[in-house]
Amino acid sequence: MRLFLIAILTIVVFPNESVAMHIAEGILPFKWSIFWFILSAPFFIYGLRELKKKTSQDLSFKPLIGFITATVFIISCMPIPIPFAGSCSHPAGTAISAIILGPAISVVVALSALIIQSLFLAHGGISTLGANVFSMGVAGSFIGYFVFITARRLNLPLVVSGFLAGVFADWATYLTTIIELSAGLMGNTTFLELFNKILLAFIPVQLPLSLIEGLMTAGVVSMLYKKRPDLLIKLNILKEKEA
Amino acid sequence: MEYISEYFKRKHFLTGLDGRFKLLLAILLILMIITYEGLFFPLIIFALTLTISLYIKIPIKILLIRYCEPLFIVMVLIFIKALTDGKEPIIIINQPFITFSLFKEGLLEGLLLSVRIISATSVVILLGFIMPFTELISAFTWFKVPKVFVEVLVFSYKYIFILLEEAQVIFNAQKNRLGYSTIKKSLNSLAILSGSLILKAFEHSQNTTTAMSQRGFDGSIPLMASKAFQVREFLAVLFFMIIVVFIYKL
Repeated sequence: MRLFLIAILTIVVFPNESVAMHIAEGILPFKWSIFWFILSAPFFIYGLRELKKKTSQDLSFKPLIGFITATVFIISCMPIPIPFAGSCSHPAGTAISAIILGPAISVVVALSALIIQSLFLAHGGISTLGANVFSMGVAGSFIGYFVFITARRLNLPLVVSGFLAGVFADWATYLTTIIELSAGLMGNTTFLELFNKILLAFIPVQLPLSLIEGLMTAGVVSMLYKKRPDLLIKLNILKEKEA
Repeated sequence: MEYISEYFKRKHFLTGLDGRFKLLLAILLILMIITYEGLFFPLIIFALTLTISLYIKIPIKILLIRYCEPLFIVMVLIFIKALTDGKEPIIIINQPFITFSLFKEGLLEGLLLSVRIISATSVVILLGFIMPFTELISAFTWFKVPKVFVEVLVFSYKYIFILLEEAQVIFNAQKNRLGYSTIKKSLNSLAILSGSLILKAFEHSQNTTTAMSQRGFDGSIPLMASKAFQVREFLAVLFFMIIVVFIYKL
């Protein structure tokens, strides 16, 4: 009953804008901030290596990454009304970057977008950068990419694969964020108890949002297929015979 | 994009301070806030950063927008903590179908956490307003952040404004054609908007590479080097840090 009450009151009391995408500055205790930085570091280093490899082969890759980061930045700043919850939230956009650039480079893209957002929009934070990179960049990108590849191997249509990648990337991002918050804030309660409560508070906004993110990712893949199938072939997303 | 902090840069007493000092000070202050167990230090830092923000004439509307997110999070956190954490109830609400209590321990813990969040966020907010992007990049270069990452940051920041203008044009065109009049139409319009942005990103990257190659682009861009440290600035920062550490230890 108490859990249900938390979920209901969170929606009723704070109906205007839910901006819970990135963990804000100062929320996580010092040891957890460091922990998430350490956990994100190998993925970032791997992403940088991939980036260096690709930029040495193709001069246009660096400007492309700049533009994709800018797109992720804009998408993750788009306030989207959530009709069921009566509030606004925003998608992550990392599924799109993971499909186009690969999950490792998508981590670098996420970190760039997060640095600009935290410093120039106060959205996210410096001490929580590691945690935000891990949820949005690592979990979102890798799960989104894995789902997309698996769906393609199962011969699902490109648009359906894109939709599933967007939905799962969003879920992965939010589940990881909930884990990070529960671990950092549990205090006298147990991890699982707090996890359930935050999950309940997130569900009314994030469930519809994940479907919107899925539709956006499907829209991007579909538009690329219709207008520039050559790019999908170049990026190894599509085989030549499918174009 | 008039809400981005750099849009409000003005000449004031912090403009001339070296970007490396600003970045280091901000990181140190945040670390001290999140490691401090109590209300005193975070409240002092919050009061200080808010005073400086108002003194350097950051519009109050913009400051309020910046504080909206942490304030929202703070309210939810206090509420969740008060409702779940503790044994000593301070308020018990009995209604026909529901009964719930707000606990003292949870409320106090929630308040402590909230002050920490607001204080740490105020440091980041101020940093955004006093540190231009070029200074951040030159500080990153000096701190030996991998060059390829710094270059990606430079490209990204520059292209945000280009893509944002285009996103605005597409959005306005969709809105004028009732593209956001129903939920179904809104979803369709958002998917088209995202797809169009990605297509624009590809087109721009190709055109930019061609233009830059013609101007001698070999894969890396020159980054601004940091100037030498000023002794006067170093001493001022050191003095400030001594006072801050003193307050922290009180």
